Amino acid sequence: MENIIAEKKKASLIEKNQASLIRRIWKSRESYQLMLPGIVWYVIFAYIPMYGLFLAFKTYKANLGIFGSPWVGFVNYDYVFRDPAFMESVWRTLWINAGRILFEFPLPIILALMLNELRLGRYKKVIQTIYTFPHFLSWIIVSIVMINSLDTQGIVNGIIKMLGGHEVNFLGSAKIFQPLLYVTDNWKSSGWSMIIFLAAIAGIETEQYESAQLDGATRMQTMWYITLPGIKSTIVVMLILTVGNLMTAGFDQIFNLSNAATAKAGEILDMYIYRVTFQSAADFSFSSAVSLFRAVINLALLLFADRVCKWLGSEGLFPSAKKSVRT
Amino acid sequence: MEEARPLLKKGYRSGKRNNKLQSLDIILLVILTSFAAAIILPFINVVATSFATQQEYLKTTLLLIPSTVTFENYKAFFADGRIWIGFRTTLLILGLGLPINMFLTTSMAYGLSRPDFPFKRFLVYFVAVTMLFNGGIIPLYLLMKQLHLINTIWSVVLVYGVNSFYLIIMMNYFTTLPISLMESAKLDGAGEWRILFKIILPLSMPIIATIILFYAVDRWNEWFNAMIFIRRGDLVPLQLALRSIVIDSQISAQMNVSNVQTEQFSQGMKMAAVIVTMLPVMFVFPFLQRHFVKGMLIGAIKA
Repeated sequence: MENIIAEKKKASLIEKNQASLIRRIWKSRESYQLMLPGIVWYVIFAYIPMYGLFLAFKTYKANLGIFGSPWVGFVNYDYVFRDPAFMESVWRTLWINAGRILFEFPLPIILALMLNELRLGRYKKVIQTIYTFPHFLSWIIVSIVMINSLDTQGIVNGIIKMLGGHEVNFLGSAKIFQPLLYVTDNWKSSGWSMIIFLAAIAGIETEQYESAQLDGATRMQTMWYITLPGIKSTIVVMLILTVGNLMTAGFDQIFNLSNAATAKAGEILDMYIYRVTFQSAADFSFSSAVSLFRAVINLALLLFADRVCKWLGSEGLFPSAKKSVRT
Repeated sequence: MEEARPLLKKGYRSGKRNNKLQSLDIILLVILTSFAAAIILPFINVVATSFATQQEYLKTTLLLIPSTVTFENYKAFFADGRIWIGFRTTLLILGLGLPINMFLTTSMAYGLSRPDFPFKRFLVYFVAVTMLFNGGIIPLYLLMKQLHLINTIWSVVLVYGVNSFYLIIMMNYFTTLPISLMESAKLDGAGEWRILFKIILPLSMPIIATIILFYAVDRWNEWFNAMIFIRRGDLVPLQLALRSIVIDSQISAQMNVSNVQTEQFSQGMKMAAVIVTMLPVMFVFPFLQRHFVKGMLIGAIKA
């Protein structure tokens, strides 16, 4: 008897919940109305292309479209992995990105720490402005500025010659190409990334600094024991995002900076995809297969990095996302 | 005890440590200034080259101030038709794209910032997922083809409709506004759209201005999608026009391809092209600078 009553109660509760859910949806219909244009945009231009990645398992027939093209299983991957240029570009992408983490990731943090310690308030703002400016230029402009400066006729070689050195062909050498990527990317975006860390530093409570000062900590000590731990979670999030992009290595930069002499050194996965998609006889299924491979590896790396960070005791990427959802 | 504190602080500031700290200050100043110089010098070089004669450019490698200032480079550059097509297309993209960007982003951000409605968390993830995972260029190209947008300006305008990152910054800003404001407006019979336009937007001018400028700069710099989706000569955006004038002719010069354009465009003219393309961003930038630190503080860290 009791069981039956309990079950009836449960059923009516569920019914009530369902009714209230519908009522709640109806009550907030205006919120949905607000979001509708945005949702429509996301479905068409973000989610349908995601579905389009299934082309990797189809043969693309122009007259049938993405949805109508027939399934073929893993045939495309058979071709992809047989192309030696593909695996080469994968390893090159990983290799270049490993260098990016080593030579590009720390600089914004170091800049933020140094700028935070600088005491001249107005000069600080000037410097910050100068550092962030190149971020707002396209890679086309930045590449041209860089090519102009690093050319054999350029100002960098001018300085080298003035100091008594020999002319260096920065742009036409495959060996220098990789360092060139790191230097130019740092030049363009480290100032912008610095802002994120500066904002994080600004979020640290001033009481911590005051009490450290009272305890007689030196500036190096406050930097090491208060500022750095204070921005640790930001550093971790940025690192996870960087690791989550290991398979993407800056198409814009390489496309605009490389030339015939350095093309081989810059053949990253994105360039490979671009080349097989738009330059030779286009096989959309083949390049979709490559794209999907890249996207899945990127996502897997992102989730893996997030796990590792949580395992090491950091917050990771997703709990903070959840928090902002709840508020 | 209460009085001991300020005394201690005073002693800390004027004590022996101060001298030590100053040496650290000088080191920092030197390092930070030299990085700033490394950013500025190439620009000065570009400006100087654009005002210099070809002879002077070829003579000196350390060109920072041209001895004779000439406007010939700019004249010759504007005489070339390509740049006008570039300006026209980019302004068209800006004029059509920016309102769409702002409408989609604000309405969705405000909708998402409303307290508790069913599927709220799902919708936030719906947006956030697109920052981590996307279909890439091939499905997008095929989609554009099926929508018959290839070779029209709309392909470039629509493909960059919402930037999820900006949307989340905005959403976080809206959630900091007091809810009582919207409640009382509702009691007065205002709908959500009216609340958004009459109450929320006037209160959010700093973040709105920031996001407008972000989108405007993005639109100004637009080139990749245009390169893929538009293969018509009369719809080339500014950045691609610049690219074809400078980089392509540079490449053919390096490869020793005899090309009429290469001879036509001296280094000075190329740099004049860079300056003209860069100028609007330089003017917008100071306004951006004022706001974005605040914007990042609100948005980026939380997200």
